[in-house]
Amino acid sequence: MNVTATLFGQMITFIVFVWFVKAYLWEPLTDAMESRTKKISDGLAAAEQGQKKIEQATIEFSTRIDEAKTKASGIINNAESKSKNIVEEARATAKEEAQKIAKTSSQQLEQEINAAREALKADVAALSLLCAEKIITKEVDKNMHDQIISEVLDK
Amino acid sequence: MDNKAPATDNPVEYIQHHLTPLASGEGFWRINIDTMFFSILLASIVMFIAYRVGKTVSAGAPTGMQNVLESLMDFVNSLVKEAFPKPNKIVGPIGLTIFVWVLLMNAMDLIPVDLLPKLADMVGIHYLKVVPTTDPHTTFAMALSIFILCIYYNVKIKGFGGYMKSFMVHPFGIYLAPINFVLTLVEELAKPLSLALRLFGNMFTGELVFLLIALLPWYIIPIPGSLWAIFHILVITLQAFIFMVLTIMYISMASEESH
Repeated sequence: MNVTATLFGQMITFIVFVWFVKAYLWEPLTDAMESRTKKISDGLAAAEQGQKKIEQATIEFSTRIDEAKTKASGIINNAESKSKNIVEEARATAKEEAQKIAKTSSQQLEQEINAAREALKADVAALSLLCAEKIITKEVDKNMHDQIISEVLDK
Repeated sequence: MDNKAPATDNPVEYIQHHLTPLASGEGFWRINIDTMFFSILLASIVMFIAYRVGKTVSAGAPTGMQNVLESLMDFVNSLVKEAFPKPNKIVGPIGLTIFVWVLLMNAMDLIPVDLLPKLADMVGIHYLKVVPTTDPHTTFAMALSIFILCIYYNVKIKGFGGYMKSFMVHPFGIYLAPINFVLTLVEELAKPLSLALRLFGNMFTGELVFLLIALLPWYIIPIPGSLWAIFHILVITLQAFIFMVLTIMYISMASEESH
């Protein structure tokens, strides 16, 4: 081998080639690969976070459900006791009312009976007075006889 | 092919003919046109592909050629990272370029030895050496470029004085400075020389064996020819790899702090 232009030509070719590969392939590819690495690691981190969030959400969900369940059963119990109370109350008031009604009606009845009795008394008194008047019109003092008759009637 | 008979009649001439480069000019301005043509052609193909991939490069899922080049890059990068404690911007591209270029130039070896010269002969070109790496100019060009880069790094990292000092004190200490100087000089010069000659020697002998096989009768050629070609795939890749690894090693040694 002699030192010829071929050697220098090849050297120049080599240098240009290296420069070209560096500028147009190596650097953009390196950048792309780096950004891809970043993207992938970001994505993995995001996925992990998502997983964590899901776990948290699951836990929260189950606690909420438990809460709701206890609340619901509390509400149901409340409602049941309330309804019992209401029924009881209703029963009590109904009883009272019925008693009241019975009471008043019996009182009324008594009053009516009494009134009737009074009326009858008066009627009988008047009637017997009339009879007596008719029988002994002239000889009997009305007032005396009234007294006697009411005494009899009272007995 | 009809030149088989004359070839076997005069094997020395046949081989010499095949190993004569297509050259023009005299003395310093002697240019091996075939070497230049094929090496620049292969470099251009790679540059074209590199340009296209570099233009459309995407950070998303890589496809097609980008995949190939990315795995090559990773391969080179892992070697560079092993050798270099500090990140170095130029070694990676050099390694990749060397590997691809040497691999492709070596691979020209696998084209049947008579095919391209015969075609060239038909259009009036009578000498053609197809494999650029069988031309020592190519291998020495790369080795010298790397040698110059090594000197640059030596001077840059150690300083000119430090670099000179490393010539004086290794391997026997400062009291045997002259001997040290000669030894280190030989050691330093042996690096590019061995780098260039290894590749050249391997490819040259490989080509020679192909030529010798081509001299055999046509009915025998396929067996040793295919065997040698298959074996040569290994040699081609291995030589390209060795050239790249040694380049990375030499540059890494040059950019080490003085010890």
